[in-house]
Amino acid sequence: MSLKFLGTIAALGLSATMATAQNYPSKEIQGIIQWGAGGSTDTVMRSVTPHAEAVLGGTVVMQNMTGAVGAIALNHVAGSPADGYTLLMGAENPMLYKIMGLGDKDYSEFVPINILARGTPILVANKDAPFDDYAGMMAHIAANPGELRIGSTGPGGVPSVVTAMMNTVEGKLDVIAVPYDGDGPALTALQSGAIDVMPAVLGAAIEGIRAGAMKPLALFDTQASDKLPDVPAVTSFNEGYATYLPWGPFFGVFVPKGTPDDVVAKLSDAYAKGAEHPDFTSLMDSRGFTMMAISGDEAEAFLTKWQQGTAWLLHDAGLTKASPEEFGIARPGE
Amino acid sequence: MDTLLAILTIFAQPELLLLVGAGTFAGIYIGAIPGLSVTMAVSILISFTFSWDVYPAISLMVGIYMGGVYGGSRTAILLNIPGAPSAIATAMDGYPMAQRGEAGQAIGVTTVMSFFGGLIGILVLALAAPFVADFALTFQPRDYMLLAVLGILLVGSLSTGSLAKGIFAGALGIAIGAVGRDPLTFTPRFTFDLQIMEGGISFIAVMIGMFGVSEALLQLQNVNLKSVRQKIDKIVPSFGIIRKYLPLSLQTSTIGVIIGALPGTGGDIAALMAYDHAKRVTKNPKVPFGKGAMEGLVAPETANNAAVGGAFIPMMTLGIPGDAVTAIMIGALFIHGLNPGPMLMIDQPDMFWFIVGALMTANVFMLIFGLTGIRIFTRIVEMPRSVIIPLILLLSIVGAYAVNNRISDVYWMLGFGVFGYFMRHYGYPLGPVILGVILSRLLDDNWRRAIISEREDLGRFFEGIVTSPLSLVLFTSVILIFVSQTPLWTALKTRIFGKATS
Repeated sequence: MSLKFLGTIAALGLSATMATAQNYPSKEIQGIIQWGAGGSTDTVMRSVTPHAEAVLGGTVVMQNMTGAVGAIALNHVAGSPADGYTLLMGAENPMLYKIMGLGDKDYSEFVPINILARGTPILVANKDAPFDDYAGMMAHIAANPGELRIGSTGPGGVPSVVTAMMNTVEGKLDVIAVPYDGDGPALTALQSGAIDVMPAVLGAAIEGIRAGAMKPLALFDTQASDKLPDVPAVTSFNEGYATYLPWGPFFGVFVPKGTPDDVVAKLSDAYAKGAEHPDFTSLMDSRGFTMMAISGDEAEAFLTKWQQGTAWLLHDAGLTKASPEEFGIARPGE
Repeated sequence: MDTLLAILTIFAQPELLLLVGAGTFAGIYIGAIPGLSVTMAVSILISFTFSWDVYPAISLMVGIYMGGVYGGSRTAILLNIPGAPSAIATAMDGYPMAQRGEAGQAIGVTTVMSFFGGLIGILVLALAAPFVADFALTFQPRDYMLLAVLGILLVGSLSTGSLAKGIFAGALGIAIGAVGRDPLTFTPRFTFDLQIMEGGISFIAVMIGMFGVSEALLQLQNVNLKSVRQKIDKIVPSFGIIRKYLPLSLQTSTIGVIIGALPGTGGDIAALMAYDHAKRVTKNPKVPFGKGAMEGLVAPETANNAAVGGAFIPMMTLGIPGDAVTAIMIGALFIHGLNPGPMLMIDQPDMFWFIVGALMTANVFMLIFGLTGIRIFTRIVEMPRSVIIPLILLLSIVGAYAVNNRISDVYWMLGFGVFGYFMRHYGYPLGPVILGVILSRLLDDNWRRAIISEREDLGRFFEGIVTSPLSLVLFTSVILIFVSQTPLWTALKTRIFGKATS
C-alpha cells in the first residue's frame, strides 16, 4: 500500500470528521436523563436544554432512563458512538459507583460539556422535635443514644455523605438510619414523624421550611445562604466541617470520551449560553441551587476534587465496598 | 366569589377549554395503548410546553391525566391487555363481558362509572383537601406495611379456582418484584451476576406479557372459531343501572380517594382493593365475579378515577406528590416559576381552584369522548382471530419497548407471555402474580423501614401497632380478613349463628 494512498484515506477521514462537525447537529440529539421524571436532575435538564437548543440550532430529545442508581443510563451512553448525538444528563452519583460496587464506569469515561449547578445540603428536623438547632440535636443524641431516626437514601446518596461527615467530625454518632427511595419520600416521612432528622438538599426542603412544616437545624456550608439567612452554617457550631465544605450534589451534561473536539466545543458553548438564560438562573436560584456552569479543564478539576474528597470520606466512615485506592483515586491533598 | 371565578377561568379562555379537551382525547388513547403511560406523556409535555404560560400547560397535563387513567380500561375490556396497571381488575370482568358480546355495554358502564368516580375524587379535593392530606400524613411505614399485607390477602378474591395455586402465583409475583438491586441498600437480589437482572424486571413488561401475549397464544388454539357478534344496543347505561350501583360506587370511590391521596400508593392498588371490596359486599351478583360481573367493572373504574383527585390532595396542600404523575406536575410548576409546597394554597389559591376547574372539565370531556365511537371500538372484538392475534402481539411488543426504550424488556415480556400461557393452561390465575409484583416493594421497603426505626426490636414494633389507633385498625382488619378466609371462621359462624337460628 503506497504512502499516497494512506494519505488519501487519512485526508478523507479528516474531511469526514470535519464535515460532521461543521454540520453538527444534522439530526436529532438524544439526551439520556439518569433519574426519573419530576426529580431534581429531570427538572434541571428539562429547563436548561430548550435554551441550549436555541443556541445549537438543533433538537435534543430527552428521555428518562432509570435504574441501578443511574448506572443503566451511564452504561447506555458510554456504549453509544462518540459522535455527540447521545448526551448523558446526570448527577453526582456515578463518581461513587466504583467504590460502592455499583459499576466499573464513572465520569472518567466522559467529557464534561457543562457542570451546571451544585446543591447545598441542609439538616432539617420534624417540627415537633425536642431540639431547635444543631447543638441541641447533638445534646439530644448524647442523652438518648440509639433513638434518633435520621433519614437516608442508600449508600452514596447525599444523606449518607452528610452523615459520614458528621461521624468524622463529631465522632461516631449513635443514631438509626432509615432508608428511603429519595429525598422527596424521606421529607414526607419527616413531616409525618416517621423520621426525626433528614439531611436534604436545600431546594427540596425550602418550601417546607418556609411553611413551618419542618425545622432547619444547620446549613452544610461555610456560610449562611441568602435564601434562608436565619439558618446558621454548620461551621458556626463546629469548625471541623470547614475541611469538607463546601460540598454538594451536582448536575452535569456529558458525552463519551472520543467525541470530536469541535462537537464538544459546540455543545459546551450551547449549554454555557443556555445556562445564562435568566429563566434558568432564576429557577435555579429559587430552588436554592448554586450556579456553576463550568466546562473543560475547570470541570475536570472539579470532578477529580469532588471524587477524591467524597470517596475517602465514605471510605473512612466504612461505607464503601472497595477502597478508592484500587481505582487510583488519590486521598485529597496527596 | 374569587374562588368561583378561579374555577371558571377555564371557560373564560376558549383555548384553555380546547387544550383540556385535546388532552383528554389524547389521554384516552395514550392510556389505552399498553406501555404508553400517562407518566411518560406528561413528562414529555414538560419540555413541549416549556415556553407556554402555566395555565395552558397545566390544562393539557390535567386532561391527559384524567383521560389516560380512564383509557386503560379500553384495551382491558376489548383485548384483555390492561392499558395501564390500574386497569388490571377491569380486565378480569370486562373481557369476559366482551366475549359474551357485551363489549359495548361494558365500555358504557365503565365510562359512566369512571366519570362518577372522578367526580367524587374532585369533590373531595375541592372540599376536604387539607383534612385528607393531614390524614394521609399520619400513615407511618408500619401502616404502609399493613396496607400491603391487606393487599396480599386480596389473592383470595383474585384467584378463581384453587386458592393454593393463587397463593403460589402471588408469591411468584412478590419474588419477581424483588429482582434487581434493592433500592434501599443497593444489594443485588436474584440477579445471578447478570447485567440484565440488575435493573430489575419491568413490571409493565410482566403485565403486558402475562395478559397480552398469553391471551394471543391461547387464542391460537381456536383461530378458526367465529368471533362473537357484539350487541350494540344499550351502550349508555340506563338510569336504573346507575342507581343500582350507586351505593357500591360511593364506597369504592372513597377507597380510591384515600389510597390515591397516600403518597406511597396509587390508582393500581386502589382499583384492586376496590375490586376486592366489591366482591366482599356483593352477596349475590347476577353473573359471578371473574365471568363478567358488572360490579367487577364498577368498583375498579370508580376507584382509579377517584384516585386522580386523591393524588392532587397532598400535591396541592403540601407539595408532596400523591403518585408519579403529580410528581412530574410539581416539577412543571417549578419550571413555570411557581413554588409548590405548603404555601401554594395560601399564596396562590387561584392555582388550586384552577386545577379543580380543569379536572372537572376534563372529567366531563372524558364522559363525552368515552361514550362516542364505542360502536367502532366493539368491531375490534368482531375481527377475525387471524387478524387480531398478530395485532395483540404487535401492540405488546411496541408497548413493552416503549416503557424504557430497552429491548431487554421485550424479551422479558415475551418470556412472561409464554410462561403466562402455561400458567393459564394449568389453571394458575394471573391476577395474583401482578398483585404480587405491585405490592412487593411496598411490603418489603416499609417492613424494613418500620423494623429499622424500632431498632430491629419486634416487641417495640408491636407496641407501636397497639398504641397507634390507625395501625390498630389496619392490624385488626388484616386479622379479620385472614380469619374470614379460613375454615375456622365458617365453623365459628355456624356455632354462633347456627344455634341462634335453630
